[in-house]
Amino acid sequence: MWKSIYKFEVQHHLRQPLFWATSGLFFLMIFFGTATNAVTIGGAVGNTNRNGNFVILQFLLVMSIVGLFSVTAFVGSAAQRDFEHRTHELFFSKPVGKFDYLFGRFTGSLTVAFLTYIGCVLGSILGSFMPWVDPERVGPFTFAPYIYGMLMIVLPNLIFMGAVFFALASWTRSMMATYLGVVGIFVLYVISQVLLGDVENDTLTSMVDPFGAGAFFMATKYWTIIERNTALPDWGGVMLYNRLLWSALGGAILVGLYLTFDPSRSKKNAGKTLRERLARIFRRGDRSPGSVPAETMPATTRTFDNATVWSQFVRQTRFEVAAIFRSVPFVVMMAFGLFNVIGGASFTNNFYGLEVYPVTHLMLQAIQGSYLFLLVIIVTFYGGEIVWRERSQKMSDVYDSMPVPNAVYLGGKMIALLLAAGAFFVVGIFATIGYQLYKGYTNLEPALYAKGFLVNIYPFLLLAVLAMAVQVLSKNKFIGYMVMILAMISAIVLNALDYQHNLYRYAGAPGIPYSDMNGYGHFTTPFVWFQAYWSFFALGLIVLMVAFWRRGTETDWKPRLQLAKDRFQGRLRLAAAAVLTAFIATGCWIFYNTNILNAYVPNDVFEERQVAYEKQYRQHKNVPLPRITDVYADVDIFPYQRRVEIRGRYTMVNKTAAPIRDLHFNLPTDAEVNSIEFPPYSVELADEKLGYYIYKLDDALAPGSEMEVTFDITVDRPGFRNHGSDTRIVYNGTFFNNRHFLPTFGYLENNELGDPNERRKQGLPPVHRFPKRDDMVARGNTYIGQDADWIDFETVVSTSDDQIAIAPGYLQKEWKENGRRFFHYKMDAPILPFFAYLSGRYEVTRDQHGDVAIEIYHHPDHTYNTDRMIRSIKASIDYFEENFSPYQHRQARIIEFPRYDSFAQAFPNTIPFSEAIGFIARVDEEGADEDGVVDMPFYVTAHEIAHQWWAHQVIGGYVQGATLMSETMSQYSAIMVMEKEYGKDDIRRFLKYELDQYLRNRGGELVEETPLALVENQGYIHYRKGSLNTYALRDQMGEAAFNEAMRKYVAATAFQEPPFTTSEEWLDFVRAEAPDDLQPLITDLFEKITLYDNRIQETSYEERPDGTYLVTMKAQAKKFYADGHGVETETPIDDWIDVAVFGEEEVDGRKKQKVLFMEKRRINAAEPTFEVVVQEKPVRVGIDPYHKLVDRNIDDNVKRVTDS
Amino acid sequence: MLTIRNLSKTYANGVQALKDVSLDVPRGMFGLLGPNGAGKSTLMRTLATLQEADTGTATLGETDVLREKEEIRKVLGYLPQDFGVYPKVSCEAMLDHFAILKGITKPSERREVVGHLLRMTNLWEVRKQKLGTYSGGMRQRFGIAQALLGDPQLVIVDEPTAGLDPEERQRFLNLLAEIGENVVVILSTHIVEDVRELCSSMAIISKGRVLKTGSPDNVIAEINGKIWQKTVDKGEVDRYQEQMDVTMTRLHGGRIRIHAYAEEEPDGFAPVDADLEDVYFTALLHDRNGNNVTENAQAA
Repeated sequence: MWKSIYKFEVQHHLRQPLFWATSGLFFLMIFFGTATNAVTIGGAVGNTNRNGNFVILQFLLVMSIVGLFSVTAFVGSAAQRDFEHRTHELFFSKPVGKFDYLFGRFTGSLTVAFLTYIGCVLGSILGSFMPWVDPERVGPFTFAPYIYGMLMIVLPNLIFMGAVFFALASWTRSMMATYLGVVGIFVLYVISQVLLGDVENDTLTSMVDPFGAGAFFMATKYWTIIERNTALPDWGGVMLYNRLLWSALGGAILVGLYLTFDPSRSKKNAGKTLRERLARIFRRGDRSPGSVPAETMPATTRTFDNATVWSQFVRQTRFEVAAIFRSVPFVVMMAFGLFNVIGGASFTNNFYGLEVYPVTHLMLQAIQGSYLFLLVIIVTFYGGEIVWRERSQKMSDVYDSMPVPNAVYLGGKMIALLLAAGAFFVVGIFATIGYQLYKGYTNLEPALYAKGFLVNIYPFLLLAVLAMAVQVLSKNKFIGYMVMILAMISAIVLNALDYQHNLYRYAGAPGIPYSDMNGYGHFTTPFVWFQAYWSFFALGLIVLMVAFWRRGTETDWKPRLQLAKDRFQGRLRLAAAAVLTAFIATGCWIFYNTNILNAYVPNDVFEERQVAYEKQYRQHKNVPLPRITDVYADVDIFPYQRRVEIRGRYTMVNKTAAPIRDLHFNLPTDAEVNSIEFPPYSVELADEKLGYYIYKLDDALAPGSEMEVTFDITVDRPGFRNHGSDTRIVYNGTFFNNRHFLPTFGYLENNELGDPNERRKQGLPPVHRFPKRDDMVARGNTYIGQDADWIDFETVVSTSDDQIAIAPGYLQKEWKENGRRFFHYKMDAPILPFFAYLSGRYEVTRDQHGDVAIEIYHHPDHTYNTDRMIRSIKASIDYFEENFSPYQHRQARIIEFPRYDSFAQAFPNTIPFSEAIGFIARVDEEGADEDGVVDMPFYVTAHEIAHQWWAHQVIGGYVQGATLMSETMSQYSAIMVMEKEYGKDDIRRFLKYELDQYLRNRGGELVEETPLALVENQGYIHYRKGSLNTYALRDQMGEAAFNEAMRKYVAATAFQEPPFTTSEEWLDFVRAEAPDDLQPLITDLFEKITLYDNRIQETSYEERPDGTYLVTMKAQAKKFYADGHGVETETPIDDWIDVAVFGEEEVDGRKKQKVLFMEKRRINAAEPTFEVVVQEKPVRVGIDPYHKLVDRNIDDNVKRVTDS
Repeated sequence: MLTIRNLSKTYANGVQALKDVSLDVPRGMFGLLGPNGAGKSTLMRTLATLQEADTGTATLGETDVLREKEEIRKVLGYLPQDFGVYPKVSCEAMLDHFAILKGITKPSERREVVGHLLRMTNLWEVRKQKLGTYSGGMRQRFGIAQALLGDPQLVIVDEPTAGLDPEERQRFLNLLAEIGENVVVILSTHIVEDVRELCSSMAIISKGRVLKTGSPDNVIAEINGKIWQKTVDKGEVDRYQEQMDVTMTRLHGGRIRIHAYAEEEPDGFAPVDADLEDVYFTALLHDRNGNNVTENAQAA
C-alpha cells in the first residue's frame, strides 16, 4: 500500500513547479560555480581542478545545507498537504494504515528532494566541459566523487533533515513551526562551527555537525592540491560515524512520529462532515440562539479628513508591526541573530587565541556580520508576507472595500517592514552594549552606535523598499521571491564579471570602514551620496507602488495598467518628476566624482593594465641602471585636504662598469607629476597610463659618476571614488611609503598579475618564479628593490598643526610655520631604500633603554598595550644585541596607523603598526597559562624589532629563499624573546597555531610549495613553517650553538654590498655549528618538504615492587617527503624525536600535566618500542608530544596509558 | 436607489462574466439568485469597488459607483463570499480595527458601536476569543458585523448562507432583514428560500445575463397556472426530464413528485401553486434552451 502512496507523492511533486525550480536553481548554481569564477559556493575553487573531488564534494555539501529550505518544502508539504486542503478526512476514511501513509509520504517526498540534486551533478559535469573552461583545470571525469557525495553527504543530510521537518510538520501541521525547525537546525550548525574555531575540539565538533561539514573539513583540511583533485575522504572513520549518527537520529525521529501519530483522531472526525462539526462548535459558543437585540444601532460620526487618515495610518502601522513582531519566524530569527551577534562579538579579531577589547566599532562590525544574510532573508520574506498578507488570509476583499486611501495600507506596511529591520539593529546594539559591560568595558560611544546604526541599516531599508516593490508588481508571492533571489544573484554575478559601478548596483555604495583613529573619515561623503542616489530610486519605486498598489481583485495586467494610469495624476505625477530629477541630478554628481574627477577602474581593466605593463616592459627587466645613494625630500602632508606635496632629490651613481644612457623609471599614475628633472635628456618613451618612462641622457653617465634627479609630485584626492578609495592619505593616520608616490627605477615585477589561472586566461606565461640562488644578476639586488643598495636619507616633513609627522631618521629640528608643523629627520647610518611617512594626532609614550630612545605614537585611547610593546622592545634589543649584533639605531619607534590594513611593517627605526593587530588586544595574563593566549602585541613587536637585524642589517638577494633571512629569522628571534619572557608552554601553544596554519594554507598554494630554504615569499612557509623548523633545529642544536651560527652569519653579511647573501650561505653557517648526526635533519627541515606521522600505538605500565613504574610503548614513526604539489613518498626514518611520559598533579585543585620523563631518542625503525621507568604513576605517554615536527595529526602523538 | 446599466465584463482568459447587465435596485433587500458561476460574485465585486467593468455604469443615488470609489467605500458594507480572518487576533480587536478604517475615529463611539454589533451578532460572549478559534458560523457573523460598521447605505453580502446549518442560516437572515429596512442590501445566493423569505425584490442571473427581475410575488404570478405536478416512479424521472420542462423533483413517500412547466396541462399532471423555485428553474431551463436554439441556429 505504501508504494502507491509513494508513487502518488513522487508524481505529485514532479508535477509541481517547486521541483523544477529547485532542480534548475541547483543546476545553474553548480554549473556557474564550476564553469566560472563568478559564482563561488562555499569558498573559491582556487587552484584545484574545476571538477576536482574536493570541489565537487564541497559543492554538494553546501547545496545540501542550502537544501534545508527546499527539503522542508517537499517533506513539509507531504506531511501537511492533506490537512491544509482538508483532504485528510477523505484519506483517513479509507483503509490506509498509518505506517503506509507516513512512510509512503516521507519516502516519496525525500526521493524527490534527492532527485533535485541530480541538478547539481549535471551542473558540475556539464560545467567542467564548457569550451571556455581552461582544459588544464579539468581532471579526468570519474563517478566516484559524485557517488561519494550523493551517498555520504547528500543522502544522510536529507534523511536527517527530512525526518526532522516531516515529523515537525506532522506534529504541528504548521509550516511556520516547521520552518522554525529549519532555524533550529541552523543554530545547531552554527554552534558547531563556532566551536570548530577552537582547534582542540575537532572530533567533537565533527560529530555534532548534523551536515557532516565538520567531519568533511576535518578530513580534508590539510589536503594538498593533488589530494583535493583526486582523493576522497574515507568511507569510514569520523565521517561514517557522523553520517550514521545523524541518519539514525533521523530514523529515530521517524519512529517517534510513527508512535505518536494518531490517525484515530482523524478517523473520528472523518465520520462527520465539516459542516456538522462546525455547527457543533457553533452551538457551543452560542448561548442564546435566535435572540436579536432590539436596540438600534448607536449613532456614529464619521469624517474623512486628514486627521482620520492619520489615525487610520497609525492604527494600520501598529497592526502590521504587531503582525510581524509577533510572528514566529521573526522572533526566532531575532533570537538566532542575537545568538550570532554575541558569538560574533566574542570572536572579533581573534588572533592566536587572543581576545581584543570590545571596542564599539568592533561590536558594530559583529552586528553587521551577523545580520547580513539574516536581514536579507527577513526583509525579502516579510516584504512578501506583508504585501500579500490580506490576500493570503483571504481578507483582501474586506480591507479593499474600506474607505481607506491606498497610502495608508502601503505606508503602514512599509513602515512596519522598516521597523522590523530596525528592531534587529536596536536589539543587536543593546546586546553588544550588554556584552561590553559584561566584559567590564565602559567606553560605550553612543554617538558611534548611532552612526553605525544608520550606516548598517540603510542598505536594508533600501532593500526593504525593493522587496515590497517587487511584490507589488508580481503576480504572486512566489514569483516575487524568485525575482528577489534572481536580483541578488545577478548582483553577485555582475560584481564577479567586474561590472562594479554602484550607479547600477541597487543600494550599492562604497564600503565605509571605521577606524578608531580616523572614524568613518572621508568614506562618509561617497557613502552619503550613493545612499541619497539610491534613496531617490527607492522613492521612485514607492511612486510605482502607489500607482500599482493592488486594490480589489483585478489580476489582469490591462485593467491594472489602466488603473495605474488613472492614479498617476496630480501630486503623484509631480512627486515622480521631482524624484526622477533628484535621482538623475545625484547620479550626475556621483558620475562626475567617480568617473571624471577620479578614474573608475573596474578589476578587469586594472588587470588589463597589469598585463599590458608586463607584456610591454618586462623586456627591460635587467636593464642596467644607476643606483640611488642619497635621498632628500620635502614632504608636505595636508591631511584634511587629503593632499601630499613631494619635492625630492635623488643622488644616483652608476655602479656598473659601462656607461648608462637609458633611464627606465616609474611614476605614480594616481598623482600629478609637476616636474621631474634629469641631466639633459630626450624622451624615449612616456607611457602615462601605465606610468612607465624611458629617458635617454644626452651624455651617458660614466661608470662611477653621479647625477641628480629632482622631482615635484602632488598627490591629490579630489571628490570621491566608486571603489578602492585611497586609505593612505586620510584625515588622521596618514601612512604611505616611497613606493607609493616617489619615482622608482626599473621594471617592477610586483606590478605583474600574480594569479596563475588569471595569467593563463590572459595569455601570459606561467608565474615568473624567483630566480635560482646561483643567479648572480638577481643577487645584484635585494628583494626590497632594484634601484638602490643602501642610501643616506634626510627629509623635512610638514603637516597640519594638530598632527605629528614621522619619517625614518632622528629629529633634527621641529618648528611651526604658517600654522603648520615641520619636522626635520636625518638618518645617521645607511638604510635600505624603503621609507615611510606618517601623520596623525598622536599621543606619545616614551621610554629609554640604554642609549635607545623608545617612542610609541598612538591614538590617545589606545593605551592598553603600549607598556607591553615597550617591554618587548627592551627585551628584544637585549636578546638580539647579546646574540646577534649591536642595534644600528639609537631609537625605536612604533607608530599606530588606522585599521584599513592589519600589519606591522619595519622601516629603519620606524615601525608603523596597525591599530587592528595589537593596540586593542586584551592580554589576560591571569588566564594565560590555562587558556593558551599568546601575548600578541609583545610577539608582533619583537618580530618587527627583529627586522632591524633581519632585513635592515642582513638582507637576502632577490633569489629563492630571500625571505628566510628576514621573515623566518624574525620569527625565530621573536619566539626566543617570547620564550625568555613567557616560558616554553606559551611557545608550544604558539607553535600549535603555526602548525595548523602551515598545514591548512599549503593546500591553497597556487604555484608550488617550496622547501623553506627556497621560499618564494609565501607567508605560510616563511612565517609558519619557519617558526616550526627553526625552533625544532634550535631544540636539537641547543640555543648557544644555533645563535653562534646566527652571530657569525650576521657578522659576515650585515650591510653588505651586492651580491647579496642567500639561504645557502646561511645554511652553511648553521651546518658548521651542528654535529654530524643533525646534518640530515637540517636537510629535511630546510631543503625538503618533510612531514611526519608519529603516533603511539599501544602502551601500558606495570607497577614494580619498589614503587616505580615500568612503562612500555609501541609507537609508529613515519617520515614522508612531499614534492611541490603535495605528492608524498615515504622515506626511512632516522631522527632524534622526543619520547615522554606524563603524570598528573593537583595544583590549586586542578589537575595539571606533569612531565615524568622526556628524552630525545634516536628513532630509526617505523615501529619503535620503548621501555621507560618512572617514579610516579604515569597517565599519558607521547612521541613528539610537543609537536615540534610537522605532523598532520598531533592528537595521536599522545595516548593514555593503561595498567597491564 | 442603485441603478445598473449595461454592465459588461470579460476576463483576460476570455470568460465573459457579465453581459450587458441592467438592474434597478430599490431600498430594502434585493436577492440575486443564480447558479454557481453565473456572474453574481463579479457583479457584487464590481459594486463593491473591487473590480473594474469594461463598459456600463452603476450609480448609487448621485454617486458613480465605478468612478467615485472612495465615496462608495464610505457608505459600503461588504461581506465577501469567501473570506478569512487573522487567526491570532481577537474578534473585538479586529472589529475595533475595522471601525477605525471605516472612519469611526472617536474611541467612545467605536466602543459603543462595536459592542452593539457584537451583541447583535451574538458574539459578545466570545468577543475576546481569537478569530482562529471561531467556527464557520461565528466567522460569518463576524463578517456581517464588520460589514455593518459605520452605517452603510449599500450592503453587499455574497453567498452568506453557504455552509451554515438551517438554524444558523435563519438567524443570519433575521439579522439581514433587520438592517435591510432602510438601506440597499444586495444578497447573492443560489438558495431559493433565502430570497423567498427575505427579499422584496430580486433578479435571476445566469451566465452573466439577467434572466428575470421583479418582486418574488410578481415573478411567481407570471408563471402561476403553468406549473403542474405529478408523482412518478424513480425510473421514469429521466424520461420526463427529457420530454418536459421539469422544474423540480422531490422524494415523496418513496416515489418522486415532479413539477413541470407547461402552457397546457400535460397528461396525468395536476395543477399546483407555483413557488419561487419553479420560477428559478423555469428561468434557467428557458435560458438553457434558448441558448441551445441559438447554437443550433449557428450550426445551421
